[in-house]
Amino acid sequence: MSIIVGNGLAHRFGNELALEGVDLVVDAGEHIAVLGDNGAGKTTLLRILATALRPTAGRLQIAGLDAFRERRRLRHYLGYVAHAPGLYPALSAAENLQFFCDLQDVSRSRVEQVLDEVGLTSVAYRRSDQLSRGMQQRLAIARAILHEPRLLILDEPDASLGSDAADLLMRVMKDKTVVLATHDHALANRLCQRTLVLRRGRSVGTATRLRVVR
Amino acid sequence: MNPLRVVLAVARKDLRAEWRTRELVPALAQFIILALLIGNFGFQIDSRNASTIAPGILWLALVFAGLVAFGRTFAAEREQASLEAMLMTPASPVAIFAGKALAAGALLVMCEAVLLPALSILFGTPFSGDVVAAVLLATVGMAALGVLFAAIVARVRARELLLPLLTLPLWIPFVIAGGVAVQSAMGLPGNYQQAIGLLLDFDILFIVLTSLAARFVLDE
Repeated sequence: MSIIVGNGLAHRFGNELALEGVDLVVDAGEHIAVLGDNGAGKTTLLRILATALRPTAGRLQIAGLDAFRERRRLRHYLGYVAHAPGLYPALSAAENLQFFCDLQDVSRSRVEQVLDEVGLTSVAYRRSDQLSRGMQQRLAIARAILHEPRLLILDEPDASLGSDAADLLMRVMKDKTVVLATHDHALANRLCQRTLVLRRGRSVGTATRLRVVR
Repeated sequence: MNPLRVVLAVARKDLRAEWRTRELVPALAQFIILALLIGNFGFQIDSRNASTIAPGILWLALVFAGLVAFGRTFAAEREQASLEAMLMTPASPVAIFAGKALAAGALLVMCEAVLLPALSILFGTPFSGDVVAAVLLATVGMAALGVLFAAIVARVRARELLLPLLTLPLWIPFVIAGGVAVQSAMGLPGNYQQAIGLLLDFDILFIVLTSLAARFVLDE
């Protein structure tokens, strides 16, 4: 069953065409990596898939629902790690997550679990502006999985994560459908079954794991 | 999903962040004291004209403090890139808006707790429950409007300029009705009950309108 079906997805920022006619189908449980140079349109595509940005053209269905008409319903279903961690600097790691528990309608007891999952238990009560960039990224990942979404949209989640990035992401991505943008081809190959390569906003094809290795 | 849980969570988060950083309230309190001092020295205040001039100074200080307080509500979220994360949750945009307005209103009330006694000390005007009630009622509607426009201009570069241009014209009803209420509470002619009734009407009207608009402003 296809979880994401995108047809002709395009986005324009003023006169600048950031994404042009991208088609994408992602099946349930599949992990797909979006690769491309800076400015290739990866973040724009991921923001559209996360329903954070409305495409200027094209159609997108997620879990059989129109992604923009039904986007409030879909928010229980998807978790999104954006390019910037987007944390509250004056709140501790645990307080950041407790706040999002209230917004996600999730029990606060889940905070301890996710902090453990991303390896932040020891700094749970440290203010998030006192965490390293890698720890902030872990906290952003923890926030994205707080409500146990079935679809994860991850925009360069490996940024600043350190040497165990792949292990952490593998743990987080288990049993979920994932679209992940990264510059790291080796990581994409390790975590994903398929890749979509973007160049100047256009899809220049998809490839299986083996072809990427070559 | 319980909208009240969202409202309280957003308000608590904003107030906790302000308590830890002390970014806004101390600066606004300083601004208010300075505005009152300038008013005090700028006009030749004596027992005869104090109650005529004091309400004007009060509303000027309150309006400008409010612009700063409400302007920060969404600007900080934008700078931290946290607004998108908040809006990516299933929480109702109206509840998020109400929580932000509640916190911003509470911050302005803290400033008023400095403003009203200081006004009484510097201008010798009465510090009565009637004055407090008028100011608090005006704060409710001003917070609703101020936070809505702060959300609208948050994504614009010239937001510091745009916020007063959009907000001040719509705050005029509060300044007029609030001004009459405070003047009459300070012993000048004016119908206090009527002015308070008007403030209440404006509060209801603008709370309803801003709640309706918030859905579109935040969702898009």
